[in-house]
Amino acid sequence: MLRLEKVDAYYKELQALWSISLTVNEGEIVALIGPNGAGKTTTLRIISGLHKPASGEISFMNQSISKLPSNKIVELGLSQVPETGKIFTAMSVYENLELGAFMKKARKGKNQSLERVFEIFPRLAERKDQSAGTLSGGERQMLAIGRALMSEPRMLMLDEPSFGLAPILVEHMFETIARINEQGVSILLVEQNVQAALELAHRAYLLENGRIVGEGNGKQLLSFESVRSAYLG
Amino acid sequence: MANNKRNATLIFFIIAGIVLALLPLAIKKDNVINLLVLFLLYVTLASSWNILGGYTGQTNLGQAAFFGMGSLVTRLMWIGGIPFPISFLTGGVVAVALALLIGVPAFRLRGVYFAIGTLALAQILFITVGNIFPDMSYNPDLANYQIVTRYYLFLGLAVLTIGSAYYLVNSRWGLGMMAVREGEEAAESLGISARKHKLLALTISAFLTGLAGGAFAFYHVSYYLYMPFGAEWTFDPIMMAYIGGTGTIIGPIIGAVFFVGIKQFLLMNVGEYHLIIFGTLFILIVLFLPGGLVEVWKRLQNRLSRSKNHERSNSSNTTNH
Amino acid sequence: MIESLGQTLAYGILVGALYGLVALGLSLVFGVTKLLNVAHGELIMFGGYLSFWAFSMLGLDPFLTIIFSMVGLALIGVLLYKLVFSWTIKFSEDVKIKNTLLVAFGLSVILQNLALRFWTADERSITASYTGVAFTILGVRFPAVRVISLVVAAVCLIALQLFLKKTYTGKAIRATVQNWEAASLMGIDIHKVYLLSFAIGAALAGAAGTLVAVNYSVMPSMGLEWTMIALVTMVLGGLGNIPGTFIGGLVLGLTESATSFYISSNYRAVAGLVLFLLVLIFRPQGLFGSKEG
Repeated sequence: MLRLEKVDAYYKELQALWSISLTVNEGEIVALIGPNGAGKTTTLRIISGLHKPASGEISFMNQSISKLPSNKIVELGLSQVPETGKIFTAMSVYENLELGAFMKKARKGKNQSLERVFEIFPRLAERKDQSAGTLSGGERQMLAIGRALMSEPRMLMLDEPSFGLAPILVEHMFETIARINEQGVSILLVEQNVQAALELAHRAYLLENGRIVGEGNGKQLLSFESVRSAYLG
Repeated sequence: MANNKRNATLIFFIIAGIVLALLPLAIKKDNVINLLVLFLLYVTLASSWNILGGYTGQTNLGQAAFFGMGSLVTRLMWIGGIPFPISFLTGGVVAVALALLIGVPAFRLRGVYFAIGTLALAQILFITVGNIFPDMSYNPDLANYQIVTRYYLFLGLAVLTIGSAYYLVNSRWGLGMMAVREGEEAAESLGISARKHKLLALTISAFLTGLAGGAFAFYHVSYYLYMPFGAEWTFDPIMMAYIGGTGTIIGPIIGAVFFVGIKQFLLMNVGEYHLIIFGTLFILIVLFLPGGLVEVWKRLQNRLSRSKNHERSNSSNTTNH
Repeated sequence: MIESLGQTLAYGILVGALYGLVALGLSLVFGVTKLLNVAHGELIMFGGYLSFWAFSMLGLDPFLTIIFSMVGLALIGVLLYKLVFSWTIKFSEDVKIKNTLLVAFGLSVILQNLALRFWTADERSITASYTGVAFTILGVRFPAVRVISLVVAAVCLIALQLFLKKTYTGKAIRATVQNWEAASLMGIDIHKVYLLSFAIGAALAGAAGTLVAVNYSVMPSMGLEWTMIALVTMVLGGLGNIPGTFIGGLVLGLTESATSFYISSNYRAVAGLVLFLLVLIFRPQGLFGSKEG
């Protein structure tokens, strides 16, 4: 469904990513784990079109997206929930969700999508008309995910959805992600919380210093020292 | 910059200087002298702006304030009977005083705010001076007016300005200024006081601009005292500096040549179009050729030397979009 | 004494509303694109000239000529964005802002001299049949033209606010103001948003130009003065705060009015500029803006 081949990326003159290759197959949950600063967010930004790769190929559903602008990539069915949500704090919860369905084809199904989102996140329904700036951290994450779901994506990319959340909320968050996946949305999950990520994902990639250094499922990745210490530490 | 290149440039400047110095002896036509005076004035203004704007990266949109102040003070003193040399220098000093007065609070503003703040300041002075001195100022000593004296004053001032810029750029202060331009926080972390360097650049720039104002007051027989505070005395030199290439010594000079040249050429043909063309050129350079004509020249040189398989003397890196 | 205070207040409010409209277009463009178009005054100038042309050639009521100035300027706005400003977007953050400033004032030079070519340096003004008429309430004089101008300005503000709050496109614009990357991830085409904002901003400048032509006069060199008014108003109201522009306008209008009445009308503009500098230095987010801007 999503394929990256030998992607290089730079920030100004510094190379951030070296020859990244990864795939996400339809229906999968794939995790991208690694320490802070490894380049996980950069990878997502490149896929979403917020940053241009220096070389390599990115394709989504067999269509090349490396040169497409962000809004066109969303139209193809690939949505991202950015780090810390980046919700529109000066607008209401409802308006945020509405904007998630901005695309013409998503607008038609807006009401159904809203129902779906409110069903997964009842808390958002309660706070529908509240300003998004008044939401708690966990609620903001919910809103960010809900907003992305409004675009009726085939695949969803999440950048550290557990960031700053209390453990019980983290658990709920990952259960929700699993549910979304069961409804037919493929997932690429960037996470620092190795434990939760490996429990949830079918497969994972380990990113260190801008390079993919390992791939496999939870057991296989445990053979890496860094993963072990993060898991047990 | 390779040493022989520096020497070549120096020799070029010396020759140009000598030619310009001897010119009035050969050519007696007043309109040629006037044109050259205008050129030298613009060289001074563009180069002095460049010190703060090009090398230190602070976009000062209030240069007319210093130009106007210098000319106002000099004119009033000189017409009032005080010998010109004193009036002239006082003009420059008052411009510096103004610069320091506003510089300290103004530099608390960054980037865009500094630009529009200095613009507002120049406007304030323009309106205020226009209110206090609305009338034309006449030179009572018309009989003794000698254009050649004025020419040499402008020539000397232009030489002083370029010399100061050159000396500054090659000094430690100049390096500090350029560091500030590239990034204030980074410069501070290296121990370079951004504030000191900005103030120094502002002071030198203001002094030279103020002197230019004084020369202007000496040169014009009659003019409105508020005229030198007008925005065009800020904008035109800035455009020249950019078209020639900010952050270089020769850039403002090339820009001034172009400006005066195009103006003359077009006046002879189609009227007041020169500013439209110049403005368009300016926009094109800012958008697509930020190094100005100097960069065009460098790129041409690189291409030529590459095709001759010579070692590249300079590699100026401009990132492509 | 009370009467002159009342007159000062009335005048300040009437002028302030006009100033609010003058700044509204610039505020919108700045809020969306973060670019400061210092050629805004020249756009207002063109709007004034278009109105003057429609008024003198077609004999329209001055306030109806707004249609011409708004449509004409919207087209000019689109043209300017496509030809000039769309290139400035491509620069990196720190360079972008400075370069846009420079490009904009290059534009102001070009536009000023184009106007000089088209219309000569003569000062022109629109005099309606009702220009001298005024209502007097409680001893305070309300010139009809100024009152109608206030109404026009208010209508423009309300229309803009409705557009931004109620339409999908308007919400997309507001989203872009807050976080353009997130907006992009919603499938919003940022370039289209920028283009639309420029067009609307220019149209608003056109409307302001009509009001300026009716209440004052137009000439090619007027651009800088009105750009400064727009900048001061914007900063007073808070950068990026679109409805706040009108409050900024009122503050400026009242300041100028008070200066005119109690000091001298020659220093009217100076007072505003001094206030501007003070606010810039001590409270750059404006009197009502938030630090987010």
